[in-house]
Amino acid sequence: MNNIEEILWNYIDGHCTPDEQNTIIELIAKDEAYRLKYQELMSLNKEFMAMEIDEPPMAFTYNVMEAIRTEHAQQPLKAAINNRIIMGIAAFFVLTIVTLLVYALSHVSLPTGSHPAAPASNLKIPDLKSFLSKPVMQVFFFFDVVLGLYLFDTYLRRKKVQKDIQ
Amino acid sequence: MQSKLSDIELIEQTLAGNQQAYADLVKRHQRFVFTLAMRFAKTREDAEEIAQDCFIKAYRSLQSFQGNSKFSTWLYSIVYTTAMTFLRKKRVDTDSIDDENNFIQIENKVSGYDVNNAENKSRSFYLNKAIEQLLPDDAAIITMFYQGEQSLEEIGQALGMEANTVKVKLFRARQRLKEKLERNLKHEAKELI
Repeated sequence: MNNIEEILWNYIDGHCTPDEQNTIIELIAKDEAYRLKYQELMSLNKEFMAMEIDEPPMAFTYNVMEAIRTEHAQQPLKAAINNRIIMGIAAFFVLTIVTLLVYALSHVSLPTGSHPAAPASNLKIPDLKSFLSKPVMQVFFFFDVVLGLYLFDTYLRRKKVQKDIQ
Repeated sequence: MQSKLSDIELIEQTLAGNQQAYADLVKRHQRFVFTLAMRFAKTREDAEEIAQDCFIKAYRSLQSFQGNSKFSTWLYSIVYTTAMTFLRKKRVDTDSIDDENNFIQIENKVSGYDVNNAENKSRSFYLNKAIEQLLPDDAAIITMFYQGEQSLEEIGQALGMEANTVKVKLFRARQRLKEKLERNLKHEAKELI
């Protein structure tokens, strides 16, 4: 404690221990300097407490909510997509892969009889060439290009948003 | 009419998707957030921008509010960081606000305003003007302590300081405020003579 003011502010703010409080009460009662300073600080404290707080514009809440709604509407697709949809798509792909595997395995003719170590060339693998026709390949590449462009666009957008935030 | 629900209940409702609950939270805290923003920005337009930005940021990160402190304390920490970023963006040198030259400028602004607005010459008017002349940190601490009814620990949480540091800063801020108030009143008395 350095000076009368610091001691008295601590007392006024209620940051003193009970012992310190009693000492200060005694000082205020006996010492004129303490009494006058205490009265001055109490009056200042009253003024500080009575300070008015500013009033924002009438439409403040509306403006905030409108800004939130706008931001919500502009939310990137990635954030707006429900997790269930993502799980659904994942389930579809897993199911498709499993079905394909089951189909492929069921059409494989495994060697039978007394030659367990028969060469692998005896395996009959379904003919994939019939599936990979020219239109299928074209659709596949077109889809890849669209997906690539979409991912590039997403990357640029994210970069722009980060730049705006900074 | 303001909601009677507690801040925590309103936050829970907001997180459940009820935007009206957040509007109620904004209504409840907007006056103080705006006042605190005024301590940094000085103009109403800038303060409005800071306050609005603060509520939007709070909405975005509402999920990260864990309830370890009062919602108001958490909100004021956002006001403080938002205001600081705003000041940096505006390239305002906050350290120079208190220097003598600027003080004279502000003092002149105060007296110029007084000549035209005699009805404003109340002690509270001079107190508000004195607060405007304080450093943003000092003004924010005084505002949070008196108008925001925050404890030293809570102010420390909001400003990222130790409670003891806040205590020392509060003491010094009150001293500076007292000096500036006396100076403004003395200046006014001289003008009247």
